[in-house]
Amino acid sequence: MNYTPTVGQILQAKGVSRRGFLKYCATTASLLALPPSMIPRIAEAIENARRPSVIWLSFQECTGCTESLTRSSSPTVEGLIFDAISLDYHHTLQAASGDQAEAARHAAMEENDGNYLVLVDGSIPMGNPGFSTIAGISNYDMLMETVAGAAAVVAIGSCAAFGGIPGANPNPTGAVSVKDLVTDKPVINVPGCPPIPMVITGVLAQFLTFGAIPDLDKHGRPLAFFGNTIHDRCYRRPFYEQGKFADTFDDEGAKAGWCLYKLGCKGPTTYNACATVKWNSGTSFPIESGHPCLGCSEPRFWDKGGFYQPLSTGHFGSGAKLAGAAVAGAALGVAAAAAGRRRQAKFTREA
Amino acid sequence: MTSSNEIGVQAKAMHGNVAPILNEVMHAIDRLLDDGIPTTIDLASLPFAPGELDELEAALGTGELSARLDALGTSRIRETAYPGVWWIEHRNVNDEVAGRYLEVTRLPEILSSQDADIMAGRARLQEQFGKASSGRKTT
Amino acid sequence: MDLLEFARGPALQTAAYILVAGTIWRIVGIVMLKEKADYSEPRGRGGFFAALKVIWTRAFTAEPFKKATMYPKMMAYVMHIGLFATIFLFTPHIVFFEGWMGFDWPGLPNSVIFFIGVATVISGVALLVRRMTSPVLKMISNFDDYFSWFVTMLPLITGLLIPVRVLFQYEDLLAIHILSVALLLIWLPFGKLGHAFLVFITRGTTGMVFERRGART
Repeated sequence: MNYTPTVGQILQAKGVSRRGFLKYCATTASLLALPPSMIPRIAEAIENARRPSVIWLSFQECTGCTESLTRSSSPTVEGLIFDAISLDYHHTLQAASGDQAEAARHAAMEENDGNYLVLVDGSIPMGNPGFSTIAGISNYDMLMETVAGAAAVVAIGSCAAFGGIPGANPNPTGAVSVKDLVTDKPVINVPGCPPIPMVITGVLAQFLTFGAIPDLDKHGRPLAFFGNTIHDRCYRRPFYEQGKFADTFDDEGAKAGWCLYKLGCKGPTTYNACATVKWNSGTSFPIESGHPCLGCSEPRFWDKGGFYQPLSTGHFGSGAKLAGAAVAGAALGVAAAAAGRRRQAKFTREA
Repeated sequence: MTSSNEIGVQAKAMHGNVAPILNEVMHAIDRLLDDGIPTTIDLASLPFAPGELDELEAALGTGELSARLDALGTSRIRETAYPGVWWIEHRNVNDEVAGRYLEVTRLPEILSSQDADIMAGRARLQEQFGKASSGRKTT
Repeated sequence: MDLLEFARGPALQTAAYILVAGTIWRIVGIVMLKEKADYSEPRGRGGFFAALKVIWTRAFTAEPFKKATMYPKMMAYVMHIGLFATIFLFTPHIVFFEGWMGFDWPGLPNSVIFFIGVATVISGVALLVRRMTSPVLKMISNFDDYFSWFVTMLPLITGLLIPVRVLFQYEDLLAIHILSVALLLIWLPFGKLGHAFLVFITRGTTGMVFERRGART
């Protein structure tokens, strides 16, 4: 086992002062949605945390998750790569390619057997292995080979976590999520299309800080970031309670920044941190810029009806079937009345 | 970056996040005076409407003391117009806001010189002006 | 398919078919029954206006019963008006109807609806307590009465629990709420809740028969 310095030692070697370190811990606590009273514990944990080796696998994906990750401002992705983790394989970000890259992956797996983290973005096609391959290896084979010696797996983005757009109806590639395949290792789902940059780095920071799998919800998402709905933390929530809604995208309600429920906002059923962590270094989030939440961090969000269909609308078939039911009812009624009349006639005769 | 305030989306003041925070600050001041317990409010965890954070900052105003910290990016530590209430803003190396806090305390901890830094500084001092040293253990 | 998708898809759809078929079945079945021959000499015309008159007068209590029935009558009005408001003036519901019928109408603020919903539940509970304690009501009540009360209150209570988030998450509570509505829709045509569409037919019929016989209505 080679020597891995602690994060505290690395920061010290880089000349980061104790004040800087305390600041780092304070922002980490804030990121992890932990109360400021936890800062001393975080400081102690981070000081003694060891830099884990990280292998990032990209399958059926659009690289949006990696794009998102590189926008993380606190911690920055550079900070994370250089200080907190050792990113040993990421075929979009790494310089090496081909056999060299695959050799780096195997070396990292051997050196850190049982201790490395596997991050996955993209879904895995089960229909035909040829749908998506890397270095001639099918996505399925690469995933299973790589996770065998992993400490934990983090599924980044809705494709890796739930199948995402490749898995949307009719799912031509037979796409499945990481959790569908990896059953003997802890899998942390970090969904979103893409996930919030700070949430990706935050989950890694949480794992580094406490060295354990965080508390997860029923869909395998860390509660620290996915514990509240967008609706519950939305600054436009008071308008919902007051019954003030935008009816179209350009009416007075929309201009006044009223609730977007009627325009199809999926905030009430969507668990994510957009409303507080926000995007682009805390600039805003979809609802703040006037667009309803699409619910991108929820399983199969592509197949849950229209993005602009309000949450409370029924998902009915056609009115023709209702008319059919009415006709059937009328027929039953006529039959019942006829039977009633026969009984009436019989009764009158007997009387 | 263009904020949503500048592109015609307005959501004015009807959210009422400012008043309860000011009320919480008042209770925190009581706690500090009565029991000596400081309080930190993490502003990043609260859902603010556009412009509301500025509203809160304006409501608290500017006091006598302000400091700038250069460690992993700059930080601004400023006492508000209400003594004991500090507005703290941490920025990262890219000058993006990484955290915003209200601290109700006599002096924010981060302003004090830290033992680890004091010791490291002493070691540096000894290295440079070693002859004057009494040879005291430095770790 | 998760629970919510099932609830607002197939479950609600099936319930709607049963509601429509059942309602029309009962109305057609009753209207097409042969009228019993009445050989007595008519003492009044007993026509359409007689029906309307009783529909109107039965909305209020006759003088001799006023004192005795004041309390249940008030509670029943609170419950029915409350049900109307919570069903038809709550914006998410209006959005539901709009998605179905293509037009909408103004709603009340959600916080007001919440308050009305609580008042409706209280009136419902008061009426149930009365049914279970009054010796006469107890005697004439059967399974239908209690089950009808249950399926009416269930959507109301599950709906009120959604913003409170008790026991379940929002989406599960919403699914349970919709399923409880489906149960209500399925039961409505067949039990005593049929009064939703039969009330004016029965009162009108009573009016016509009574006036023909010369009873004071």
